[in-house]
Amino acid sequence: MRPSPQASDTAVTASRPAPDTVGEPAGAPLDGPAEHTGAASVLTVPVVQLLGIGKRFGAVRACDDVSLRVRAGEIHGLLGENGAGKSTLMKILLGLVVPDTGRIVLRGSETTIADPSAAAAHGISMVHQHFSLVDRLSVWENVVLGDRGRVDRDRARKSVREVGDRYGLRVDPDACVEDLSTGERQRVEIVKCLRRDPGVLILDEPTSVLTLEESRELFTVLRRVVADEGKAVILISHKLDEIVHATDRVTIMRQGRVVARRATADTDVRALAREMVGRELSKWTAASAVGALDALIEPGTGEPTGGTAVLDVREPEAAPAPKPRPAAGEVRLRITDAHARAADRRPLLRGLSLEVRAGEILGIAGVEGNGQAALGDLLSSLLPLDAGRVEVCGGAVAAGRPGAMHAAGVGVVPEDRHVSGCVLDMSVAENLMMADLSSVTSRGLLSRRRMAERARRLIEEFEIATPSPDTPMRQLSGGNQQKVVLARELAGRPQVLVAAQPTRGLDIGAIEYMTERLHAAAREGIAVLLLSTELGEILTLSHRVAVIHRGAVVGEMDRADVDTERLGLMMGGQAA
Amino acid sequence: MTSTSGTLISEPPPAVAAPEPVERRRPRLADLGTPLLYLLSLSTALALAGLLIALVGQSPWDAANAMYDGSLADGAAIGQSIDQAAPLLLVAVGSVIAARAGIFNIGQEGQLLVGAAVGAAIALFTPGPGPLVLILALLGAAVGGALWAGIAALLFYWRGVAVVISTLLLIFVANQAVSYAVNSPSLLREKAVAGQVTTSQTDMLAESVWLPRIGEYPDFNIGAGIFVALVLAVGTSLVLVRTRLGFRLRMLGLNPKAAHRAGVGAVLVGGGALLASGAFAGLAGGVMLTGNGHRMQDGFADNVGFDGLLVALVARDKPMLAVPVALFFGALRAGGGFLSATGVPRYIVAVVTALMVLATVFPAAYAEVRRRRTAGAA
Ligand SMILES: Nc1ncnc2c1ncn2[C@@H]1O[C@H](COP(=O)(O)OP(=O)(O)OP(=O)(O)O)[C@@H](O)[C@H]1O
Ligand SMILES: [Mg+2]
Repeated sequence: MRPSPQASDTAVTASRPAPDTVGEPAGAPLDGPAEHTGAASVLTVPVVQLLGIGKRFGAVRACDDVSLRVRAGEIHGLLGENGAGKSTLMKILLGLVVPDTGRIVLRGSETTIADPSAAAAHGISMVHQHFSLVDRLSVWENVVLGDRGRVDRDRARKSVREVGDRYGLRVDPDACVEDLSTGERQRVEIVKCLRRDPGVLILDEPTSVLTLEESRELFTVLRRVVADEGKAVILISHKLDEIVHATDRVTIMRQGRVVARRATADTDVRALAREMVGRELSKWTAASAVGALDALIEPGTGEPTGGTAVLDVREPEAAPAPKPRPAAGEVRLRITDAHARAADRRPLLRGLSLEVRAGEILGIAGVEGNGQAALGDLLSSLLPLDAGRVEVCGGAVAAGRPGAMHAAGVGVVPEDRHVSGCVLDMSVAENLMMADLSSVTSRGLLSRRRMAERARRLIEEFEIATPSPDTPMRQLSGGNQQKVVLARELAGRPQVLVAAQPTRGLDIGAIEYMTERLHAAAREGIAVLLLSTELGEILTLSHRVAVIHRGAVVGEMDRADVDTERLGLMMGGQAA
Repeated sequence: MTSTSGTLISEPPPAVAAPEPVERRRPRLADLGTPLLYLLSLSTALALAGLLIALVGQSPWDAANAMYDGSLADGAAIGQSIDQAAPLLLVAVGSVIAARAGIFNIGQEGQLLVGAAVGAAIALFTPGPGPLVLILALLGAAVGGALWAGIAALLFYWRGVAVVISTLLLIFVANQAVSYAVNSPSLLREKAVAGQVTTSQTDMLAESVWLPRIGEYPDFNIGAGIFVALVLAVGTSLVLVRTRLGFRLRMLGLNPKAAHRAGVGAVLVGGGALLASGAFAGLAGGVMLTGNGHRMQDGFADNVGFDGLLVALVARDKPMLAVPVALFFGALRAGGGFLSATGVPRYIVAVVTALMVLATVFPAAYAEVRRRRTAGAA
């Protein structure tokens, strides 16, 4: 990628008396709207200054002379493509990664942060991109994990409730984490962090699994708390809409360098996207990437109603050309009256039936926790059925038997890639090949050469940023780990492709590519089942939409007939 | 600072711009690097061992000499060390297989004993040409160890009993069972010869079923066991890295859910790995029986199962790394045996060897703990 004009301005060296002038590009306005009040205000003292931070991992420059300044009382957005170095920068602030160069200045004094406990002592706390909860423990146990001193059960449970109520992140403190949906787990992570009442809160893609409603509520409260108590929040997100709504200022990174700093008030989604990717995106992608839902609804289907808060009313953009309805192929996947329970006997699926035909994308819309995860697990062979049957290409498949679905031709991009989608301690090449080992083995022996070759092809095709195919998966950036899983499942040429939250964690460029790939898969005659809690994503991609509620499909409609009001009602469980 | 007025930079210089006294990071053990860490922990252990020996009134210097004489001084001693290393390596490689599949078998001591007993039964009571009986005995030992581990596998996949617990408890059962067999005249106890009192041990194996030895007796000579162990270590390493089976096994160990999705059956592959590790331990017992003692008696296993487990731990579950580690541990065992012959009390010898073991385990364990800490926080 070409170096950006702004990036070259950042090389100003530190002049001691005023270290805060370092690295500000001349043309970029620095101030949030609140900061014009006066020089003496306490609010304007930067809480966190990262100055000239550099970090290399082998040949990869994760951070290259990065400066970031966060003031008390602001929510600061950190934006950038997958692998731009956002998480690395935050890990440096948290003491998890030792920087090669640069300084950290906290509230005006230079500091060395050796480890997370030192960061915690400075009031810095982070919600990580990937979960770090202990499955077998309950919510409150997870929340107090890492605390020092005596554990007071009742106090802990109460504080979980209090924090939850305050920020609109309700979770049952006694629930076992194992049984929680991804969204609920995310809530636990955030509650755990907020309970410590940090002065600097770092959120690394915290809302990728929260509903729009939840993230709105969270940021409304956060904004108030941050302003009132002089705290600071750093928010990493690929949802530009959210960045625009929630932050005061943004810093945009590309390939380890800061390319722009903006006051949020002076910019918009489109401009942010352009600066992040370095090129103009198609209107269509931009709209779907930021969740501008109304742009996705064809004109004439009526105003989005206030009935469901998931809908986001904004100035309509150009609607896409109506997709040609695919010629209906044969039924590839048929699930009939599926019933299943969790380990604790809680019902997960209650008579779910659906059909997906070759060449179509069936989107499953629904509020999270209504059986989407179970459906994904079922098609990953991870969930046995109590009753009902699954047929792939006309043949019955034994649910729950290891690899049965995979052998029948079902490819799955699972919802939580870290849990069942990949093996972090194996190499990228191994992860790319694990579903299709037979293509690189002969007489039981793996051919390293063929493996590396195929891996290299996929890495190129899907633009996975990795130093080499032999790099351990763990060392990839979050978004690039997602891409590995997507690449593997798409390249497997399945009969049926299940994609759960396929764009979660991807930057908007990658979302654009993903969207194209899923359409191409359908065009090639693959039956695609799309599970997503984001209505925008469903509407962008699907030919047909089914609504899931309490473990069963409660209604279906063609994409062309989608009426958001009716959809909203159905998702809420009302017959329509 | 030129512009404090407008849109460009309104942040006033911080009141205290001069850096405060910079917090210095507390130096950590990890900063030393691995080789230095090994050196440090080994010398600490040596110092402690010397102190202990001095406390019981012996000369640490003489003791060190005795250790050296018993393990490295001449061809004979080196041969002893290598002989000791063979079963350790076998046990270790077996542990590696289980550990890579995500299963923690710690009952090698029992599996080894059962394997040896089965081997002894075959070697003593099967008629036929020596080499054939030898091979049958070794195979029988492997099968015996595998079956003993199989009980734990069964308990786990059928009843959910944790493997760590069942394999550990099965050691005690194996001890009792084998001791009973060795003490029952109708089973393995040595056959009475008129006018002679029998003791609780088996008959000596016929010389034709002994593992061949290479080299001249008083000088350097080693049993064939080490070659068996080496071949299996190399083989295991290749299987783990180069084959589809190894790939699937590693996958199971690293992420059981992803493995299940891809069609790796936990019962088949995981159970298989547990059986295999039992077989390796059993074979170790067979090698000890046919290679060194040539008969079974109480205390036959002599902690080889546990020491082998430690070899795997120090070698961080890498079969090829287990080879030098097993040789080191073998030398320790040989030296320790010699030391106890020089009058240092047996228990002190045990403590000294344990110290050396701890010293070698410590850096690896420390690195692992650190890795988990940072991974856990990340
Ligand atoms: N421990 C590590 N070892 C080697 N390389 C690493 C390591 N951690 C990160 N990297 C590399 O550094 C670069 C930046 O990674 P980082 O996780 O900071 O990206 P990111 O901006 O958070 O991206 P995403 O949006 O995908 O989460 C990537 O190319 C990644 O492969
Ligand atoms: Mg990241």
